Amino acid sequence: MTTHANQFRDTLPPDEVMLEPAGQFGADLRNLRSAVHRAADRQTTEPVPFGWLNAAKRRRHAAQRLMVLAWTCAALLCIGALPFLHHAKPVVSRSSDTVARQVVTETDDTALLEQVDTAVSESVPSSLAPLDALDTLNSPSPTSTQPTLHAPEKKNVAQ
Amino acid sequence: MGHMVSTELPPLARAQSVLELADFDEVVRLYRPRIFRFLMASISDRDVAETLTQDCFLKAYNARHQFRGESSLNTWLTRIALNLVRDHLRSRRMRFWQKTRETALDIVDVGEWIPDGASTPEDVCLQQERVREIWQAVEKLSRQQRTVFLLRFVEEMELSEIAESTGMNTSTVKSHLYRALRIVRERASGKSEGEQQ
Repeated sequence: MTTHANQFRDTLPPDEVMLEPAGQFGADLRNLRSAVHRAADRQTTEPVPFGWLNAAKRRRHAAQRLMVLAWTCAALLCIGALPFLHHAKPVVSRSSDTVARQVVTETDDTALLEQVDTAVSESVPSSLAPLDALDTLNSPSPTSTQPTLHAPEKKNVAQ
Repeated sequence: MGHMVSTELPPLARAQSVLELADFDEVVRLYRPRIFRFLMASISDRDVAETLTQDCFLKAYNARHQFRGESSLNTWLTRIALNLVRDHLRSRRMRFWQKTRETALDIVDVGEWIPDGASTPEDVCLQQERVREIWQAVEKLSRQQRTVFLLRFVEEMELSEIAESTGMNTSTVKSHLYRALRIVRERASGKSEGEQQ
């Protein structure tokens, strides 16, 4: 790229040719210069009016005030948005709390069930043997065909 | 003008500044037409050019203690004007919905500008037409090419001065000038040939 640029610069015409084109084009450029000068002179021939730079100063001050106002608005918006940001955070923590609580509850239930299982699987003392036999009779067994105490008698239903 | 500066602007704080308060009136008087002309040609809008000329001199006044005299005053003011043009064009791009160029400059308001060496009305019309074509071609140049072109062929600045004002190398200025000249010549001549056919 640099080589290409250097090659381009080497092919540039001499300064005299470039700075003052000759012929019709040169004359056209001089006419252009004359036209621009004439157009500008129409406005600048009058003396500089009193307080000429005041307008620029006013614009500058207005721009500064606008900038201050813009920054103030931005700051107020940020401050106004802070409570919303604050509110948004607890929702996230609450949901995580719920999940944690659910996990704890599930753990508790499992432990309780295990405890119940252990208690149930314990051997029944001999003094409670008749009750155990009664419970066996009451519990419905899919394989058993014997009627339980709570089951309605088919004979009565049929009658 | 002397009253304007001495009454409206704050007094100089530094005694050893390059531009004295009294001289600034003279600076404005001498350089205002030149800066206005360059800005008007760059932006093609008289009102904006006037506004930016004011801004340019206000900036120069506020930064006068930074001017160390390493470059000419014309170069320094032109550099400030160039920065203003760049900022203005950037902001105009941002505010594209606004109507711009309400006071757009038609460089050859026919009847207002009459070429000096024209002898007959046909010559006048012909030369005005050629200038208009060149101006239209210049308006379509890239910003850098246009800046270099205007500084050279309207403001008649030397290459070294243009380089100093724009912050480019002299060789870069030459490249831009060469390309700008070629484009303007091609566009202007192409349009003339097209119209003749």
